[in-house]
Amino acid sequence: MVSLTFSDVTKRFAGRTVIEHLSAELAGGTVTAVTGENGSGKSTLLKMAAKLLLPDEGKIVARDGGQELSKAAYRARIGLVTPEFHAYPKLTARENLDFFLGFRRAAPLSPVQYEQLLARVGLASDQVAGKFVEHFSTGMRKRLHLAILLASEADIWLLDEPGANLDDAGRSMVRREARRAADAGKLVLLATNDREEEAVADACISLSGH
Amino acid sequence: MHASLYRAIESVFRKEARISLRSRSSWLVVLMFALTTLSCVSLLMQGDILAPRLAASMLWIILFFSLLAGAGRGFADEEQAGTLMALQVYGSSQAVLFGKGLFMAVLLFVLSLLIVPMYLVLMDIAVASWPAFLLTLLGGTYGMAMAGTLLSALMFGAKVQSGLLSILMLPVLLPILLPAIVLTASCFAGEAVHGSYLVGIALYDAIMTLAASLLFDFLWYED
Repeated sequence: MVSLTFSDVTKRFAGRTVIEHLSAELAGGTVTAVTGENGSGKSTLLKMAAKLLLPDEGKIVARDGGQELSKAAYRARIGLVTPEFHAYPKLTARENLDFFLGFRRAAPLSPVQYEQLLARVGLASDQVAGKFVEHFSTGMRKRLHLAILLASEADIWLLDEPGANLDDAGRSMVRREARRAADAGKLVLLATNDREEEAVADACISLSGH
Repeated sequence: MHASLYRAIESVFRKEARISLRSRSSWLVVLMFALTTLSCVSLLMQGDILAPRLAASMLWIILFFSLLAGAGRGFADEEQAGTLMALQVYGSSQAVLFGKGLFMAVLLFVLSLLIVPMYLVLMDIAVASWPAFLLTLLGGTYGMAMAGTLLSALMFGAKVQSGLLSILMLPVLLPILLPAIVLTASCFAGEAVHGSYLVGIALYDAIMTLAASLLFDFLWYED
């Protein structure tokens, strides 16, 4: 099972320390919430976990069965949903999914699997058929990002405010999927300020910011 | 090449093609640039014949500026659409490099196939050796596209303005532009084609492919 270790991680931006000497051990099969007020470094922590940012001090190591994962192997197992993540606006939902699965080298979806996936994230296939993502509502886009994550077979989920811009049913779906992923052995790191999302977590990292 | 990497490259290539066809404006600009240059020069020539070297130079200058207009968009469009993060997280850098590079190469080659017949008719030029001419176009556009993709990624990685792309592009592309111009001039003039120039273009393409493949990870990822 995959695990992620933050050892004495510090991150600064323009002289301002955002995260200072953070150490944590995250295990597969758990949801870890990252909480803290705006600007406390939640998104920064997730970006460091996604290897999109490097820590200034300390290190982040991913292991599977005790073996350290190479950068490429680790990247191939990450799935990310953040406010800065966007699907291609000039492609349809189906084309986006086909692209990301091909790019990820994951198995393509059959028409039935595609319908099931859309239903799982609360999108109706006739609602999105033939429609470019640029014409989707914000909530529909967020649901599509979650569908990409689900289809990508990632086993390290990095979720930054995944319920933002979603209605009650959508937020409930996010909580359910995060829990289901952890129960299936995936590692879920969930940055949130939503008490209900926090409640599905097994552990919590509280960031105070500096 | 590993079958799954091939699939990832194909996915990037197909995505580039779809988006490019749907956002016609950028390629219309490139095509219109080529057409405007051709029309102006042919009208100004008033029936005079251009010297083969000059004609060959002009053809490659048109292709060079077409590349500049297109290559600069490669990563800038991704940044504008906010899709860079998705590309960085969900797949391999090599798939991005070769998917984008090959798409740019195909696009430049297709563009040259559109421009060349018009160019030959308007400038009243006859090509003596079509196989050598097409090989030159193929090798030249491929090398230019790979170099353009790598430099475009460099601009994106360094977060500098795209104006620098045109400055960096010239010294990087000169080693392929010069033999391509000489070979094209030979084809236009009906002279014997020197195989060494074709070998030079092939070598440039191979070195650029290898260098781009080795360097791209450093540009694409922070660690």
